[in-house]
Amino acid sequence: MALDTQAKAALVEALGAVVGARYVLSSDYDLMLYEYDASIDRARPDVVVFPASTAEVSAIVKLANQRNIPFVARGAGTGLSGGAIPLQGGIVIAFQRMNRILDIDYRNLRAIVQPGVVNLHLSNAMTPNGFYYVPDPSSQKSCTIGGNVGENSGGPHTLIYGVTTNHVLGLEVVLPDGEIVEVGGPTFDTPGYDLTGLLVGSEGTLGIVTSITVRIVHQAEAVKTLVGIFNTVDDASNTVSGIVEAGIIPAALEMMDQIILQAVEDYIHAGYPQDAAAVLLIEVEGLRDTVDEQVSRVVAVCEANHARAVRIANDEQERQLLWRGRKEAFGAVGRISHEFYVQDGVVPRTKLPYVLDRVNAICASYGLRVGNVFHAGDGNLHPLILFDSQVPGEVEKVRQAGFDILKVCADAGGSITGEHGVGMEKSDAMPLIFSDDDLAVMQRVRDAFNPHNLCNPGKVFPTPGRCADIKLVIGQQRSPAYAQAEAEGAWH
Amino acid sequence: MSDLSLFTRQLQTGAPQTEILNSPGDLARFAVDGRAPALVVLPATVEDVAVTLKLASEHRLTVLPVGGSTQLGLGQPPERYDLALCTARLNRILEHEAADLTCSVQAGITLAALQQQLAIKGQFLALDPPDSEHATIGGILAANSSGPQRLRYGSARDLVIGLRVVLGDGTIARSGGKVVKNVAGYDLNKLYIGSLGTLGVIVEANFKLIPRAEEEQTLLVACRDASTAMEIVISLLSSVVTPTALELLDRAAQQQLPGQAVQATSATSYLLAIAFSGGAKAVVRQIADARAAAAHQGGAPQNTLEGANHDGFWAAVRAQQHGPVTCKVSLLINSVASFLARAQAICQEQQLTSSVIAHAGSGLVYLQLGPSDAVDRLAMAISQLRALALSDKGSLVITNAPTALKARINVWGEPRPDLRLMKILKQRFDPQYTLVKGRFVGGI
Repeated sequence: MALDTQAKAALVEALGAVVGARYVLSSDYDLMLYEYDASIDRARPDVVVFPASTAEVSAIVKLANQRNIPFVARGAGTGLSGGAIPLQGGIVIAFQRMNRILDIDYRNLRAIVQPGVVNLHLSNAMTPNGFYYVPDPSSQKSCTIGGNVGENSGGPHTLIYGVTTNHVLGLEVVLPDGEIVEVGGPTFDTPGYDLTGLLVGSEGTLGIVTSITVRIVHQAEAVKTLVGIFNTVDDASNTVSGIVEAGIIPAALEMMDQIILQAVEDYIHAGYPQDAAAVLLIEVEGLRDTVDEQVSRVVAVCEANHARAVRIANDEQERQLLWRGRKEAFGAVGRISHEFYVQDGVVPRTKLPYVLDRVNAICASYGLRVGNVFHAGDGNLHPLILFDSQVPGEVEKVRQAGFDILKVCADAGGSITGEHGVGMEKSDAMPLIFSDDDLAVMQRVRDAFNPHNLCNPGKVFPTPGRCADIKLVIGQQRSPAYAQAEAEGAWH
Repeated sequence: MSDLSLFTRQLQTGAPQTEILNSPGDLARFAVDGRAPALVVLPATVEDVAVTLKLASEHRLTVLPVGGSTQLGLGQPPERYDLALCTARLNRILEHEAADLTCSVQAGITLAALQQQLAIKGQFLALDPPDSEHATIGGILAANSSGPQRLRYGSARDLVIGLRVVLGDGTIARSGGKVVKNVAGYDLNKLYIGSLGTLGVIVEANFKLIPRAEEEQTLLVACRDASTAMEIVISLLSSVVTPTALELLDRAAQQQLPGQAVQATSATSYLLAIAFSGGAKAVVRQIADARAAAAHQGGAPQNTLEGANHDGFWAAVRAQQHGPVTCKVSLLINSVASFLARAQAICQEQQLTSSVIAHAGSGLVYLQLGPSDAVDRLAMAISQLRALALSDKGSLVITNAPTALKARINVWGEPRPDLRLMKILKQRFDPQYTLVKGRFVGGI
């Protein structure tokens, strides 16, 4: 749905009156840059606007309502499920200008940020005082906290400390009708329904967040990172369950299989073995005098599960290099296959050996290669299916394999998305885990907040009749935003 | 023939296993603010809960979900109260996947019964509200009850990974799932937790669990005033130690503790209890750190509690979260000390007795006031305390009070602007107000 020339010109003028003409983009050339996020979904907005204040966001939303034009909030565009894509055109509200850290209150363990603040910038601002903000998506060098709130983002270090929702206490929100409202706050247990908890992860369909109150915590005294090397994926998977069963909850517990290791090692040279079937990247943190004890317990579990070797990072430099290999794994895979498709399923940790077998068998049955790099401790899989769209029918196979994998996750008692969100990509997979009644109850919530469905339409809910498009990362046609995101490690 | 007898007959046909009580004694046990229901219904299955609610909505009867009756004093008096829907018979553990650190339970199981089963596999659910022998999982979630350990483990919203709920019209719906990480669909778990049964009846809950710690110890620190204690709290939170609980007790609260637990002197106006759990080595190191930090800030470190003394002490502390007139005050950590000083003065002015325990590291103060029949003075004092809390971005909820006091002062306080959203949600979830009206925020 594109606006006609006259309506668009009028909209541009009206928005210009709100934010200043220079903060409104409307040429095809400019709009092209806002038609995708890191999922490579595409839909072109009619106009992009850059508000500088909550009042401006409210005015924009009211204007959109008067004209019955859809609107979508956008942070850094690193999302992996199309959450920021203006599926029905309309207005993209971009938050680059609302990027200030408003307050850091160490005595009360709170910070208040605008939605456009880059995730890592908040932690960096607190480093000198020994504090940080816990959720650390792999894209944290570029993604914004507003986007994290929209998607309820995770990251490697959320295993023990929880995801975004566990760290957000209060929000200022512009509702889909333009009203500004505060929910929650800096103190715990605000009377009434937990609207903060509801809004986090609502993928921009219930309102637009304009200020965020988060918890901050003190850094641990010591951290140790180790790599367990395995000759079979099964042994690595069993080690994951074994560690958790032994009562150890590491700060991070990540797995990479052989395809990933080979790609990463060729690219990053972090010292990962290229002939291993899988490695586990494990991090424990805590007090200096107890971390070593935890490390030896983890090593014992690795060895009991036939680890070929366990290496412990000797210093911070080696640790950083190992993490760089993990966080830039998607980019590394981009070097061996121009095209790949990322899935994001979750299964109970104990089901990992079975589900990984199935993932590999499914891909093999379609004649597709797959690499696995994922948050094993959470049971959060990220299979990367490699393909070549020049081969007739291959895209269709990838589409089907991805759906089959989600079905295996659902059947194993898991979920169709652990941290990337439903967005456009997975709305049609929702019935794998939710009944019609379950979804109808969620619809009641959307209708309560967003009755005219102008606020990020076409997301989260299955669209009857719409064919499930799988969004493919097309190497040769990579967008500048994609290339930049990749360079910055914007991948989980 | 009244609607009620027709309802009863249809319920007996539609859900024959359902127990129905209507003796005056049984009804009185389920009274809320002096108002008894006309019937008590005890369904045996989730499906029977759905049948009950569907029939109730058809007959325009109002339903209050009840677990262990430990939080019935929370909320304003109900406007109309026809049926108590008691979940006591839904008391099974459906799954305990120890290797996954998750479990799935029915809502009517008591917390103590659940913990006992989880302990067999060396795990626990990290919720420690008072009265775990009676409090049920469903009730704990509906009331969003918590305890001192929330400092380390968070509250129900951080531990629930999935819920099954029956709405007012009998619709059975799930939210979340059984895995520890999940962003599929809206996080309705958050909406149901703390909604006091106004959006639906929680019938099943899935949790993430925690391995039991090898060692637990608590250091007691005597403090001459609240600000000394709070400086210790803030210094610990800004350090590498990770206490499980940081609890502050005033003198009146200390006097209600079991005798052998505390050896603090009579000069102690506040007692700070600093709990650690984990590996033995980690606990010992942190107790030593805490001792040093406490002394540095002017506190007087006392004895360390272990074993039965430790458990007894914390049970006694939790029990003090709940009394005849209780206010739960949520504050910024840095405002706790000044609030407590003002609270003492206000209670003196109004000639009220008071005792305080506070989850100091979370900024949550539980204030017991008395005498409970001094309604005018209580209302006066509480409104002053509430204004104080609000002025600093906090809140004050009266979590238990005589009905007469609720008539004088709203237990939730003045609604905030987001009440509009809450009312629209209620309208979408339960347009007919089958689930009892009037108890929750803003008359919901």
